[in-house]
Amino acid sequence: MPFKTDAVIRRAERDDLDTVVGWMSEPDFQYFLYGDPAQSPRQIRERIVSMLGRAPGQTMPGGVQLMIDSPSLGPVGLVALQNISWRNRSCSLDIYIGRTHLRNRMVTAVAVLRALEYAFDELNLHRVGAFIYAFNTASWRIFEMSGAKRELVLRRQVLRDGVLHDVYGYGVLREEFDEARRVRSRLVESASLEEMVKSLPADDEEPKA
Amino acid sequence: MIVGQHTVIRTAERDDARFLRAAYLGSALRASLLDVRKEPVQPTREELEELLGSKETARGLFYAVEDLEGRVCGFCGLRGVNQESLFAEVFFLFLSPEMEAGAGGEEAVQFVLGQAFNRLHLAKVTILVLDGETGLGALLARAGFACEGAQRQAVHARGVWHDVQTWTCFREAAEAPDNHTGGCHALQD
Repeated sequence: MPFKTDAVIRRAERDDLDTVVGWMSEPDFQYFLYGDPAQSPRQIRERIVSMLGRAPGQTMPGGVQLMIDSPSLGPVGLVALQNISWRNRSCSLDIYIGRTHLRNRMVTAVAVLRALEYAFDELNLHRVGAFIYAFNTASWRIFEMSGAKRELVLRRQVLRDGVLHDVYGYGVLREEFDEARRVRSRLVESASLEEMVKSLPADDEEPKA
Repeated sequence: MIVGQHTVIRTAERDDARFLRAAYLGSALRASLLDVRKEPVQPTREELEELLGSKETARGLFYAVEDLEGRVCGFCGLRGVNQESLFAEVFFLFLSPEMEAGAGGEEAVQFVLGQAFNRLHLAKVTILVLDGETGLGALLARAGFACEGAQRQAVHARGVWHDVQTWTCFREAAEAPDNHTGGCHALQD
């Protein structure tokens, strides 16, 4: 596996195609991230195939797709580092937790943490940005916990359910992430997505109080 | 062709490629010349001729700005029109600082805003501006644009990090020119 910590994040592969296509077809994916409900599954599949396509050796890719995986539950979510600029040492980040019952703050928070670690520690990037819809409060709060600053407020930018919503532009620089990591070092050292996934109720179980 | 008091604005043509190429080769770093990854690029003249010579649908709304003597002094236009959310990105590329400071630049901005709001019936337009493009920022503020923040250290050029500001103009702000506040504010310390 190219990348593995306590939280398992690995490169997305062709075998993940059906899973990712399924997630991208979900209304939640299109509501919180992007996509067109009218898009056919075939069009989505073709798009994913192009995203997952392996770059030739020694080529610096423009994007990296990672899967958040659990040995017991299978694929949990998708992490996409997109528009990677090797000159500016920057990229944009999208994260989607496909398993709806795992969409609690910790799972997403650890996924964000691991994705940022990968971007800064492995890819040696300087800045990671994200555009998050204003109504997606949980996501932008998690990003802020990782040291990101709200840099932009794009007013009336995205249409959902007939209403124009604001979009926030976030950015986190390497030193800001390092500082957030230092402050939250206990969480970082102890956080394990696998352990958290195991402790969560399965699909057919009632949530624990 | 739109003949104004200070400029003539027309659809850009294949022959304008050499002027556009000059802007890419110039020393000034401009947000309008960055690619999608915010990296400076240097297209060849042939590539620019191909872009400007393509069909209007592919080329988008790309205009050349001439002075009254017929000299090309800049480019402007709209790209990335989002019909669902009724906005588009606009761009202005003036070949001299005098254009940004003078009435010619203001005329070009008003033309593009007219295209966006009256022809395409959009609700707002946005534009990216580098922190060093102060003349362009001042021009936009005069036209009713407001800065919505800046992506910090998003561009690295000549050994220096640059912030990329996003400026927005809503239809109502463009229609109320006496009410312009403009100015760029930092959202975070």
